Amino acid sequence: MWPCVAALLLLPLGGCARRTGPSALTEHTAADFSDALHSGKTLFIYFQQLVSPTISLFLVELEQSADALQHYGVLVGKVNCNKESFHGYCAEEKAVNTVFLFRGGKEFLGFSLDIVFDVNSIVSEVLFAILREEIKYVHTETDLLAMEKAARGRKDIALCYVSSLGTQEHRSMMETAYVLCFTQATEIRRVICFTRFTQPWRRKPKGIGHRNPPKKLIHRARLSFSVSPCSVDETSRSSQVWFLHCSGHSRSMTSEHCPSTRMSQPLSTLSLHSFLQLMEAPLVSEVYQDPSSVRPPQHPYQDTPQVFLFSRPATKREDLYEATALAWRLRGLALVLLVHRSPAVKTPEEYNAAYKLPEKGSVVKYLRSNSADELLELFTNPVEEDEDEEEDEDEEDPEEEPLDALDDEIAESVFENRLNLPDADSLAQLTSDNFHATVAQSSLTVALFYLPWSAVSNAVLSSFSDVAERLEGSEVQMSVVNCAEWTDLCAAESGGSPPIPFQPITAFPTVLLLRPKESAQRYGGLLGAEALHRFITLSQPASPVLLSTEEEVTSFLLEGFARYKPARALGLFRTRADAGVRQFTEAAKSLRGEVLTGLLTDGLAEKWAAEHGVRLPAALVLPSGAKRTRASALPASASAQELLSHIGAALLHPVPELTVENLPSFLSLGRGLLLLFVGEEEDEIGHTQNQALLKEMRDVVELGGGWMERYLVCWLHLGHTPAGMSVLGSYLGSMPPLPALVLTHLPSGSEVYQYPPNTPILASSVLQWLQRVEDGTESAAGMLGGGSWPPTTELFDFLKIMDMQDPDLSRQRASEEKVEEGGDSFPARDKYPHTEL
Amino acid sequence: KSVHLPYLTLLILIGCTECFPDDRQQNGTGRYDYCVLGAGPSGLQMGYFLSRAKRDYVILERNSGPGSFFNKYPRHRKLISINKIYTGSQNREFNMRHDWNSLLSDRPNLLLKRVSRDFFPPADAFPVYLSMFEKELGLRVRYGVDIGRIGAVRSPEGRRYILTDQHELDYTCSVLLVASGLWVPQRVEFVGSDLVEGYESISTDPEDYKDQAVLILGKGNSAFETAQSISGRAKLVHMLSSNPVRLAWQTHYVGDLRAVNNDLLDTYQLKSLDGLAEIPLDKIAITQLKEQGWSRSGAKKKVNKPKFCVTLKKYLQHQEEKNGSDARRAETLEYQLDNFSMRKPYDRVISCLGFRFNFSIFQSSARPLNSDNAKGRLPRLTAWYEGDNTPGLFVLGTAAHSRDYRSSAGGFVHGFRYTVRSVHRVLEQRYHGNPWQSTELSTTQLQSWILKRINEASGPYQMFEVLGDVILLRGSRCEYVEEFTLQALPRFSSLSGHEVSKHGLIVLVMQYGKNKVDYLGRGRADTEWTTAWKSNFLHPVLYYYDKLPTDEEMKLRPPGWPLPRPKAIHHMVEDFLTEWGTPISHIQPLRRFLEHCVQTDLRAFYAESCFRLSLAHRKPPLFCQQGYLKRQGVARDSRLWQRDQDGGPMPTVRDEGTSGADPAFPAHLAQAGASISAGLKLDF
Repeated sequence: MWPCVAALLLLPLGGCARRTGPSALTEHTAADFSDALHSGKTLFIYFQQLVSPTISLFLVELEQSADALQHYGVLVGKVNCNKESFHGYCAEEKAVNTVFLFRGGKEFLGFSLDIVFDVNSIVSEVLFAILREEIKYVHTETDLLAMEKAARGRKDIALCYVSSLGTQEHRSMMETAYVLCFTQATEIRRVICFTRFTQPWRRKPKGIGHRNPPKKLIHRARLSFSVSPCSVDETSRSSQVWFLHCSGHSRSMTSEHCPSTRMSQPLSTLSLHSFLQLMEAPLVSEVYQDPSSVRPPQHPYQDTPQVFLFSRPATKREDLYEATALAWRLRGLALVLLVHRSPAVKTPEEYNAAYKLPEKGSVVKYLRSNSADELLELFTNPVEEDEDEEEDEDEEDPEEEPLDALDDEIAESVFENRLNLPDADSLAQLTSDNFHATVAQSSLTVALFYLPWSAVSNAVLSSFSDVAERLEGSEVQMSVVNCAEWTDLCAAESGGSPPIPFQPITAFPTVLLLRPKESAQRYGGLLGAEALHRFITLSQPASPVLLSTEEEVTSFLLEGFARYKPARALGLFRTRADAGVRQFTEAAKSLRGEVLTGLLTDGLAEKWAAEHGVRLPAALVLPSGAKRTRASALPASASAQELLSHIGAALLHPVPELTVENLPSFLSLGRGLLLLFVGEEEDEIGHTQNQALLKEMRDVVELGGGWMERYLVCWLHLGHTPAGMSVLGSYLGSMPPLPALVLTHLPSGSEVYQYPPNTPILASSVLQWLQRVEDGTESAAGMLGGGSWPPTTELFDFLKIMDMQDPDLSRQRASEEKVEEGGDSFPARDKYPHTEL
Repeated sequence: KSVHLPYLTLLILIGCTECFPDDRQQNGTGRYDYCVLGAGPSGLQMGYFLSRAKRDYVILERNSGPGSFFNKYPRHRKLISINKIYTGSQNREFNMRHDWNSLLSDRPNLLLKRVSRDFFPPADAFPVYLSMFEKELGLRVRYGVDIGRIGAVRSPEGRRYILTDQHELDYTCSVLLVASGLWVPQRVEFVGSDLVEGYESISTDPEDYKDQAVLILGKGNSAFETAQSISGRAKLVHMLSSNPVRLAWQTHYVGDLRAVNNDLLDTYQLKSLDGLAEIPLDKIAITQLKEQGWSRSGAKKKVNKPKFCVTLKKYLQHQEEKNGSDARRAETLEYQLDNFSMRKPYDRVISCLGFRFNFSIFQSSARPLNSDNAKGRLPRLTAWYEGDNTPGLFVLGTAAHSRDYRSSAGGFVHGFRYTVRSVHRVLEQRYHGNPWQSTELSTTQLQSWILKRINEASGPYQMFEVLGDVILLRGSRCEYVEEFTLQALPRFSSLSGHEVSKHGLIVLVMQYGKNKVDYLGRGRADTEWTTAWKSNFLHPVLYYYDKLPTDEEMKLRPPGWPLPRPKAIHHMVEDFLTEWGTPISHIQPLRRFLEHCVQTDLRAFYAESCFRLSLAHRKPPLFCQQGYLKRQGVARDSRLWQRDQDGGPMPTVRDEGTSGADPAFPAHLAQAGASISAGLKLDF
């Protein structure tokens, strides 16, 4: 599996100068430089024009790096421009301070001497450049998630975080990466990715002995986020490496991330190499002989301690489970072997563990250990680690306490904030006893039906009490019903008193709007403070408002509602007795809280209809934020349901912006989404650009006409809706440049198409592209994730545990076993039946 | 009758069809769909359900008021069913867990606490309560009808039961609900059993036991109640039965000796002359001592009371002739066995052996078989309380205890009020085609609903291991059927009228652990959810089946289990407060178990996550489908989120999109778009 091991071990390790022996550094003449160049080899050449102490120092380092780099197929050389004048590079002034990398006969990259100044920086930067295409880079957690998703079940990932470039650590990583990328025989099972959470500090040559960047700078380079399985310790000065075990985990227990192991040894090529090799080692090996006769670990694990755990036949499966749990924690530190007790095993029963260190002549040490932590302590790196760091690790290792960690984000956030949760008692309590009286007291009572143990209920209760605070002093009575206490009220059992004006509550939480002598209205919107507050505010006016004067109509259309700009719909009918009025009133009732509705009849209605050029009956709608009303004629005898969809269609924006709140209503249309992702505008220009893009999208709708009706053209502003970012990432596997236009959620399949990223977004070319997609000549840029969501964890199988610990407990009786008479009556517990009932 | 007349005329005036039963009442005979025999607690309870369902029924009662058993029993007039008025909860359903006397009704206030506020109410309170229950709910009871004969006939419409009263009047019923209770004293036949006084007739005045040596046969509550009552006056009290005393708090069976009656255990163990002994009662013989020569020495006392000696049958000579008569000294155990515990004679022997079902009124066509357990004292019943060989005849109340004899609460008011309801549901389904009442839920609500039931439901709590909730899985929806008779699970579909789909079903049962432990000792309770299956105290257990178990599987279920081995089982760890609502130990393990039953992720997500998942997947997880996609997403409360941030970095917050404005956002994009060619490529 590791064909390159030998080569790697031969590598000179950083800093060890080899002044003796022939140098690998080639001094080129014009002719052989040209030959070498055209041979297509990778060359790293310095054109020496000047001689100075700094340059001389550099040349020594260059010479050393030549030895190192030749193992990676890079020929390091110099051309003395003073000997023969090269027309090209020797003539260029910038070449004085630049070393050039040539690949395939062409200049590939120039490195400033500020960057490449010693053997470590040269090797790391050169390999960095060569591996640029081979190594994936992680900038955001989304990137990492996407990468883990793609690797799941197939590959493992080595994730490296480099705190500063050009260091020994950087070099070690690059060398290892090179081996992994180019010398792995058949199949590359690993992907090295390189985190650049932030611009790494690049080591400067000033004071070559200065190995670490100043602390201050590191602190300034704050991480923009933390990755759950391997959050980078911000205060740590050192680079870090994690191994993400994705290949074995098609679905991880508790998180979207693959389980990970952090490398705890100090970073060097050798330690990194053996760390990665150890990750390949079987987690637990099972043996049937005494630890003393178990062979020491074979190459390449010969330097790794062995830990033995003993297993009894009776508890075989449990023991293996425990050993595996320990092995996960010891991964990278020691190899775990499970010794099955058999006659060959001479170890006294009193011991349940043993270990053997790799040093020559070391013997097996036996011990009785009560906890995994004890064993762990034996092998944790003696290199002093911050206590915090260790704690962090404990918290973040997903294998540590997979069963008790809350894996439900709502449950978790409620649990984390359990001390700060709003007290339901501070809100008015509706009970079976006071329900009717309380509802009769105010024109609008809003009631939250909740269950105290439900995390979702508690999350909503928090928003609800927020709204209650905002509405304090208003006519709205905000109240809660604890359905764990008032079962009969929640079940709408009146118990003899007046009937309860709602159906039994079977979903928690539920918000009802209660008005005296009316049946309850169920709040059907987003369960959040803002949305609920808006809904309550907008439900306060009558629905529909009966308008009878010109002023009333104007104020209906223009009046503000706090900061809300509600959509409005005005029904115009000939008379109040018109049959359509009843239907419209019914429709208005169900729109209450979302759309302001008004009703206009008689002469005034005629006048408004005429002004808008429609006949009665008609509807005037004013979408939220729009400046002009749109008029449309209503079918003469429409049902309330038809009126609703008519109003809904009239209010629909031609190119709506998708938000967390409104996405469901658009998805429910069942149309494909032609979705434009735009970034946040940093300045006026950005703003204008985005406006222009939206204009193009409107044109797409208009130009496409009926053909476009199968699509919903919409846009998503990543500044307003940052959650969209990871969506885009998951469509395309990476973050494309913005704006990005994708076609997704096609009724026909899971394909996601991306409009060519480098093509300007113009209505006509978008339409052509859509046509090509329909024709099947465009290939998909990505796929939607599947719609199946299997259980989050393995079954915690009580039956299996019972079978293991007490096999008779849960076993069905065999049919020949004597079943007590009467078969399905309870077994008597005692031999003699009792004497009294 | 006169009470009914004004009512009757009113009904006739408004031409109501309901008047027919009253018509029949005038005639004193008639045909009914349902006859309930006995107006005790179970009869009235069934009456309530029949009346609420507007069924044609009558309750026949030989006495002049309801619950007449309680006019006499318990003899010492203290009920030992608890009447807990204060529970700290207003939840009516929950409070029924701690009210062992009241019957079920939709009247919130029709509870025993209106009659008595004592924790152990006086026995007289109970008939008063029953009478109140009958009157306020307007149940149709005919008092003074003493049914002496019950027979069954075949008719074109099916089997009919004919009940004949003391006036030879017949009542013909399609369904007979026998709620006659247990009131015939149980006897054990042995030599000298005729010398024994019965619990039913003993004096309850302690003074009558002054300085007497009393032997009580039996070690149940009536025996101990009697012992407790007389121990202040008696010289000594000995108690004798085949088995050692069983303490209710150890066996979890309320029919065993309750602590409220167990003073005698103290006086025995604190060496105050009382004592307990074990001999099978059919092995003993009681003989009356003759005053032989030795009384001559004494002066002329008052006539000596008969003295009774306990001996073993095998030592009796001439048993045939001497059956139950005076014994000779040579036959006493004092003579035979040197230190026999009962070698001293007793002044009285009292039998406190409980009661048996009155089989005598049933003709062979209608006679239920004797039970296999309880010494055959009870009728043998199917799992839905129908007589094994008497279709259409159901047994309710205490007499139906053979189903859960010595294991659950079916012999007691707080248990059988629920089995009566279950039987009524069986009747509604079988005779009227009304499926069992059920609640349809979305699957994401199932967990909440289960927790709600676990934390408040009284039926499965009282009738643990006998009644359980059945949840029919139907994919994204499910059907919740409450309080099914577990033993009848193989017949679920026909009994309940609900079909089981291919998604299978979950049964929720409350059960005790089956291990014998030191119930007050260390290590008696488990708090670790991973070892919940070892819980000793009452705790919820969920059984998942992919299809209904068969009769055979039910029969061969593991010993001590209420149900056969399921596909998967989940125990929720016992809880000191009997409140199952903690996030880590109770809720999350339950959720994960349910996920395996319904084969889907049941986690809850905030709206932002649902937004992401809805856009990035063909379908988001069920919670998002049933909430968010129906526009009812859960927004992350800004205040909760605020606190998160104040509390330092949250390692597990995985949603980078939740902070309103991310200042680093444009920088990210710039980096992603420009820096390293095409950013990351996922070409592996």
